[in-house]
Amino acid sequence: MNQPAGSTRGPGPAERRVVITGRGAVSALGTGQRALWQAMVEGRSGIRPLHMEQPAQPLRMKVAAQALHFDASVYFVSRILTMLDRVSQMALVAAREAVAESGVDFSGDTALRTCTVIGTGVGGEMSRDEQTRRVYQDQAPRVHPLSIVRLMPNAPASQISMEMGLMGPAFGVTSACASSNHAIAQAVAMLRSGLADVAIAGGTESCFSLPAIRAWEAMRVVADDTCRPFCRQRTGMVLGEGAGIFVLETLQHAQARGATILAEIAGVGMSADAGDIVSPTGDGAARAMQAALDDAGLRADEVGYINAHGTATPANDPVESQAIRQVFQHHADRLAVSSTKGVHGHALGAAGALELVAAIGALREEVIPPTCNFIDADPACDLDYVPNTARQQRVDAVLSNSFAFGGLNAVLALRRFAH
Amino acid sequence: MNASVQQQIFQIIAEHGKIEASTITPDSTLTDLGIASLEAIEIIFDIEEHFDITLPDNNPDFDTGSTQGLIDAVQDAIALKAAAETEAEAERRSS
Repeated sequence: MNQPAGSTRGPGPAERRVVITGRGAVSALGTGQRALWQAMVEGRSGIRPLHMEQPAQPLRMKVAAQALHFDASVYFVSRILTMLDRVSQMALVAAREAVAESGVDFSGDTALRTCTVIGTGVGGEMSRDEQTRRVYQDQAPRVHPLSIVRLMPNAPASQISMEMGLMGPAFGVTSACASSNHAIAQAVAMLRSGLADVAIAGGTESCFSLPAIRAWEAMRVVADDTCRPFCRQRTGMVLGEGAGIFVLETLQHAQARGATILAEIAGVGMSADAGDIVSPTGDGAARAMQAALDDAGLRADEVGYINAHGTATPANDPVESQAIRQVFQHHADRLAVSSTKGVHGHALGAAGALELVAAIGALREEVIPPTCNFIDADPACDLDYVPNTARQQRVDAVLSNSFAFGGLNAVLALRRFAH
Repeated sequence: MNASVQQQIFQIIAEHGKIEASTITPDSTLTDLGIASLEAIEIIFDIEEHFDITLPDNNPDFDTGSTQGLIDAVQDAIALKAAAETEAEAERRSS
């Protein structure tokens, strides 16, 4: 099992197909992927009034999808907790859940053959903010000695590898709102190439600091009511937080230990717009979707559902809709397309990982989670967005889209697992 | 006052767009002036800093609306601020 098998490009031989065997999540909907999936199916939004100490000048950001329930002291002893920014706390709790579901045992060689790849957009923002406040506001002569190790963007990957004793390749991946999907794509590439047999992969984000909120306000992309993807009344995104972590394995490894296979990651597609730093071109998104289909060996008409990026900004939603149409042609009218961001908000570097819960759920439970908070159709968004109510429907292949500021696109193609 | 606010706004737009302020009219849209959306939010930021005001998020639509919409929004925000300051002053005097 230690010998790499297969090619390093494209889908390798059967034994190096990549499957998902565990999932975990922390989100505004609670701790646990089940709580998130349930809310997705019900179209129940975790968006609430922003919970924040009010600054002297009022905040324009009024609502958010914060994981207010999440109390790290339940999960960590103080000696460990002192090392952990909230972004790592959430990632660790989600990773524990994923490993428990998968039943993977890291004893022996498995730990050496397990890689850890965790995406985050900004890393330990809350720790950075806390120490910056001490330096500038309190004029403190010193900051917490663990500030660096809390805030570094590789901290979540490091902390997971340390807690679980995972000794294969481990690092952070960063591409703003596509960080999760890029991390998972990187894990898939390592499993296929033979660099690892098991991967802990996903994304995490927590950045409700006052400067981060002010920065989002200044970009004028934030909704003041709620997140309403693809509908005419959408006014922008709603910031969220959380973590989604998965256990991926080569098919051979999963079958050898008799694991329950949740789904197959059949393909990944990545691209750069090489255009504007914020305005999506659509062409880059289309190329990433096409690349994922090609990598998976899927025909466009085999895909039944797309979990869209669907941020509910004026710019993203029509451009993404057109990109889907460009790739899927006439089949676009038969696709179910939904954005679950009305449920869990836009969790930035964790977005793709939270949304992978939706993609897996759709395959396994034969339910398409709806686009919630949908009022009226927008003529510029002309696909079937499964408004407000879940749909019972069997689908055999699913795409999950993530597109980032900077024009960085990453798409995962999942298939119902079959021998 | 009105002309002055307009001139100051045109000056800020002109500096960002590397264009002559005299070429800007109240009917010009930022798109007409060749200003991309990322520059537009920088212009809004500079205008807010310059006048020490806060402009509403979605009204007017700064990408596609005319500079007249922007001028109106700035004047409204200045008036709101002046009213708030007068009220605060009156409260101070009465207490």
